[in-house]
Amino acid sequence: MLATLLALVALGYPLALAFGLPLANRDRGDVRKWIQETAVAQAPDDLTPLLAGTGLVATADGERLAETSVAVLERRPLGHGAEDVAALTEAAAGAPLLVLSDPWGRPAEGVVAAPAAVLDGGLLAAALHALYLGEGRLVPGSLPSRERPDGQRTRFTFPASDAAGPVLVNGERLAAGAGFSEDGAAVVLARPAPFGADVRRMTGDAAILDAGAGTIALADEHGGGDVRSALAIVRLAERLEGASDGENRRFAAARTRLLDVDPSRVLMVEDRPLSAEAERPAERIDGVVRRVTFPSAAGVVVVDDVPLEPGVHYTRDGTSVVLTSPPPRNARVRQYPGAFLADPASGTFLLAEAPGPGERVWAERYTFHARPGCGETLLECFYALPQHPVPYPHWIAAGIVPFFSKYPVADERNALRATLYTTLGTLAALALGAAVGVLLAVNFVLMRPLEKAVFPWVIASQTVPIIALVPVLLLVLGNAGITIQTSIIPTALIGAYIAFFPVVVGTVKGLRSVDPLALDLMRSYAATPVHVFLKVRFPAAVPFLFTSLKLGTAAALVGALVAETESNNRRGLGFQILGQVQSGNVADVWILLLVSSLLGIGLVAVVGVAERLLAPWRRP
Amino acid sequence: MEPVVGDAGTGARGVNESSAVEGVSTDGMTPVSAADVIRAHALTKIFDAAGSRTVALEDADLAVRAGEFVSLIGPSGCGKTTLLRLVADLEAPTSGELEVTGRSAADARLARAYGYVFQSPVLYDWRTVQGNVMLPLEIMGFDRAERRRRAFDLLAMVGLGDFANRYPWQLSGGMQQRVSIARALAFDPKLLLMDEPFGALDEITREALNLELLRIWAATRKTILFVTHSISEAVFLSTRIVVMTARPGKIERVIDVDLPQPRGAETREYPRFFELEREVRESLRGTH
Ligand SMILES: Nc1ncnc2c1ncn2[C@@H]1O[C@H](COP(=O)(O)OP(=O)(O)O)[C@@H](O)[C@H]1O
Ligand SMILES: [Mg+2]
Repeated sequence: MLATLLALVALGYPLALAFGLPLANRDRGDVRKWIQETAVAQAPDDLTPLLAGTGLVATADGERLAETSVAVLERRPLGHGAEDVAALTEAAAGAPLLVLSDPWGRPAEGVVAAPAAVLDGGLLAAALHALYLGEGRLVPGSLPSRERPDGQRTRFTFPASDAAGPVLVNGERLAAGAGFSEDGAAVVLARPAPFGADVRRMTGDAAILDAGAGTIALADEHGGGDVRSALAIVRLAERLEGASDGENRRFAAARTRLLDVDPSRVLMVEDRPLSAEAERPAERIDGVVRRVTFPSAAGVVVVDDVPLEPGVHYTRDGTSVVLTSPPPRNARVRQYPGAFLADPASGTFLLAEAPGPGERVWAERYTFHARPGCGETLLECFYALPQHPVPYPHWIAAGIVPFFSKYPVADERNALRATLYTTLGTLAALALGAAVGVLLAVNFVLMRPLEKAVFPWVIASQTVPIIALVPVLLLVLGNAGITIQTSIIPTALIGAYIAFFPVVVGTVKGLRSVDPLALDLMRSYAATPVHVFLKVRFPAAVPFLFTSLKLGTAAALVGALVAETESNNRRGLGFQILGQVQSGNVADVWILLLVSSLLGIGLVAVVGVAERLLAPWRRP
Repeated sequence: MEPVVGDAGTGARGVNESSAVEGVSTDGMTPVSAADVIRAHALTKIFDAAGSRTVALEDADLAVRAGEFVSLIGPSGCGKTTLLRLVADLEAPTSGELEVTGRSAADARLARAYGYVFQSPVLYDWRTVQGNVMLPLEIMGFDRAERRRRAFDLLAMVGLGDFANRYPWQLSGGMQQRVSIARALAFDPKLLLMDEPFGALDEITREALNLELLRIWAATRKTILFVTHSISEAVFLSTRIVVMTARPGKIERVIDVDLPQPRGAETREYPRFFELEREVRESLRGTH
């Protein structure tokens, strides 16, 4: 028993992986679930020193790079050795690249010891994203206290819970322990903060205290390395591929995959931005109208996301457009005065007007799919699955206590209550089913013609699919004035409906199983039929009766769950199972499965115990 | 010694002179001895199943007097069980006359005149040994104390006093058969009908039970009609042996067993025992 249980539990793990990994793989491959990042670029002209021709490194000579800029790859500043230049080349082929246009600021003095570091030359606001300690990038951030210091107050709270770094009072960094202590969400300072002082707490690696003066505070006392800043950030523009010959209007963003919906994207032709706004027609599209009017006098006309060919599908007269055939009623008719994203998959744009010869088409700002949202590895994605079809057994186990204590016992949604309710319903169903079953069986055995007449109907009753029968029964009960959503009667009736069958069959067989000689013996005693029934037939049928009661118990439970589900009886397990499936709460579905099967096993075991007590003569 | 009553070849010879004529049978024709516990005349049983007709018993004449131990022996299918079941009113005869304890077989059954012991113990699984012995008493309306007393006494008599509260499956075959005998004796019937009660037992158990049965017979003075297919068992137990033939089932011969009473293990050593065995065996062989 225990070994079986352990084997089942152990089986849960490979099963969880077998069912979860394909989903994780799908998640990882689904670009729509990738993390999006937005890149902002400078005009191509500004990039010219770095970007002449097609490739970055082909023209970016080492000398110039060293003089004027520092390249950063994955937050790591690149040197200008051959290795780093190769890395730069590789990176340039894929994702957009950050390039710092100025060399590092000079190392700060006494950074390590001082609570706040003063960066020589000050900081530009634009450089806040590029603060480095050694080769590691510092993420700046601090939050001011909610309370205003009044010279007395020592207890301060901060607006976000991720403020967990040192506390700064007027730029002076207090150490945890000596300077302040934590008290739940608040901090308690060792000494009251001076009246009107600036009290803040660090959320990141560094806090910018005075951007003009270039004063920062570091969260940790780093053991070494220079604190450096980059003064400006230049990003590579995304150049769209396509021939600029005065005729071609199709350009493709080949380097970065585009998003279907990218409100921040701005396409540029040289330094002229193309409007990305869609224009609606002034007219209602009623299936008849052919002439539509847009605010602009030029643009790509699109009906239901399909761009129309000018001259073929429509003619233009200023702001009004006459279509050759009326668009269908309520069709989405739009005009894109700048450019229209014709194919998000390949990143193909259709420009309203063809750029002149040699003109560059580029995106100043664009969003792209940076990396899988669920994680780098398949396993990470597996763990990040929003729901596992087969959760790890210990996840299910961990969910049991919360599941049962989710609602107070007084609440009818409480799982324990629901279990008890269903148990009660099942027992009622079993009692009713057993009573009807035994009664029928006794009458069948006593009156053969009755059996001949009725037994086919008993069989027919079980061939009716329960799932089809239940709604009808509920309807009848509802019309009879029973509130099916709260009554235990449907549960008991439907459970009994399927539970009585094995009882009838088993009991009839049991009552007939008597040894003919045993009956002869009763005849030799001149026993009355009542005696024969009570002292021989019925006891002989008892083992059969219990076997069929066990079958009937399982059947009654099924019936009870189905009834609870279909009657929307919120008090039972059946409704909970349905609810959890619909809300996609997989672990809870598994817990409910576990609970209902344990309930089944438990009830059958109870019948077994009853059998031992009432029919002890059976060979163990 | 009571003489033979029936002879298959010549039909009924009538009641032997030594039997006192004290009454008449129900048809008013044949005189009846009051001491006859079983009296059969031209008893015939034919089983008519679809397509097959079996003459299980033909023209059987038999009288068993009170206190006799009569064995029926014969090849399989010669109607031994049928005869017993007719006496017990578990089957109805096709023709012929039958009286049991001076009334019709049906009345005798209703009067609970006999106890029946089958070849298999036919114990009720759901009752303890004691419960099985008490079952006929419950049905016949004995009070609780009486039931307990009788069950206790009878179980002690068959040597199962310590097993009263066991269930049948906890007993060996021989013990089960002893329970079955105790049960048949429970309501103290005059007549005991036993159909190969020891047939399924091994030789050693069977001989032990034979002695026990003789002891019980001697102690209770019952009339016993006993079916067996063992020659030595028949000779050892009986006062008379009825040899039967098969197809159709008939009574071939009745042999008086004049071995002295009470019998014991040494009875089997008497030369007369072997003579009687041979006589029975020859009668049986003659039936081929
Ligand atoms: N209920 C019955 N239906 C049909 N034939 C039967 C029935 N009982 C016994 N017989 C037949 O009657 C014959 C005598 O049977 P039985 O009295 O049981 O013989 P035995 O001497 O072996 O006890 C057999 O041929 C048997 O097949
Ligand atoms: Mg027989």
